[in-house]
Amino acid sequence: MSAPVITQRYWDDVKEGEEIPGFEMFLSETKMVEQVSGSQDFYPVHHDREFARGGGHPDVFFNTGFTRAALGRLLSDYAGTQGWVRKLEYSMRKMNRPGVTLKARGKVTRRYVDDDGNGLVDLDIWLENEKEGVTTPGSATVMLPRR
Amino acid sequence: MKQTGPYDIDVVRAEWIGKKSEVKQGRYPVEYDAIRRHCHMVEDANPLYLDPELAAGTRFGAVIAPPVMADYFAGDGIWPKTDEGPQLMLLIPTPGDRMINLNQQMEFFRPVRVGDRLSRQMVIVDIYQKPIRLDPKAVWTAVETRITNQDGELVATIRNTLLIHREPEEVAADSS
Repeated sequence: MSAPVITQRYWDDVKEGEEIPGFEMFLSETKMVEQVSGSQDFYPVHHDREFARGGGHPDVFFNTGFTRAALGRLLSDYAGTQGWVRKLEYSMRKMNRPGVTLKARGKVTRRYVDDDGNGLVDLDIWLENEKEGVTTPGSATVMLPRR
Repeated sequence: MKQTGPYDIDVVRAEWIGKKSEVKQGRYPVEYDAIRRHCHMVEDANPLYLDPELAAGTRFGAVIAPPVMADYFAGDGIWPKTDEGPQLMLLIPTPGDRMINLNQQMEFFRPVRVGDRLSRQMVIVDIYQKPIRLDPKAVWTAVETRITNQDGELVATIRNTLLIHREPEEVAADSS
């Protein structure tokens, strides 16, 4: 297979306050099916509209496995092949439902070196969509190579 | 687990906080195709996860699983059913049985490679009642899962906060 180009970032070049490259993805009905395939989460609230509405929800919504996979992609794209995602924390405050464009975003909050000399970056990260705003706020720590 | 009749959160807390599951190995070794399906759902084309040739030339030496998949490979999958019974957190008595996963904290200590065997152990760390719009008697539980590899090394820890609520009809019946 042809390998996609992933830019390798270095800790030395990071600036506190800067936004990291994110990505966008339309949440189609097919994406809902891919969510079940990829996460193997068959709880009906994520694919059965009648079940979701019976529980008081206006519609089905994307599950935890999908949500954290999106945040995981955001972070591993940022870390590159030489970095490492150390910590990820997120809260499911609002829902991402079919028919919206999901945006994954992040911002550097701290840049520092740990006791072992590793270059670390703390980030605020989040998922948002045009209907509900920020749905999934979170934070993360990523280790980046030093020059 | 849904409990009918009077519900005493203090009794549930005293009995359940600190309970641990046994250490259990995931059903299968870490495998390529589950990684591919995971990447497909979020259009993640990272070659570390998908390209054996490229990954072999990195410091990992082989394809690795996305770190957030650690609990997937430490589990048995939804089918075929095992004789293990429901997960520990599903046994906690609660007034309702509708669940929403609200918060997750993950820490990743080591890479997971194709062929690794992962195991999991859960511990219940907190249970409390806090009202939500849908249900004034909603129950919140926090469960930590420790994931280790075939050498007994800690790969990841995952702390989940789950909200368990009743259906609107059950809430209405309780307040009438």
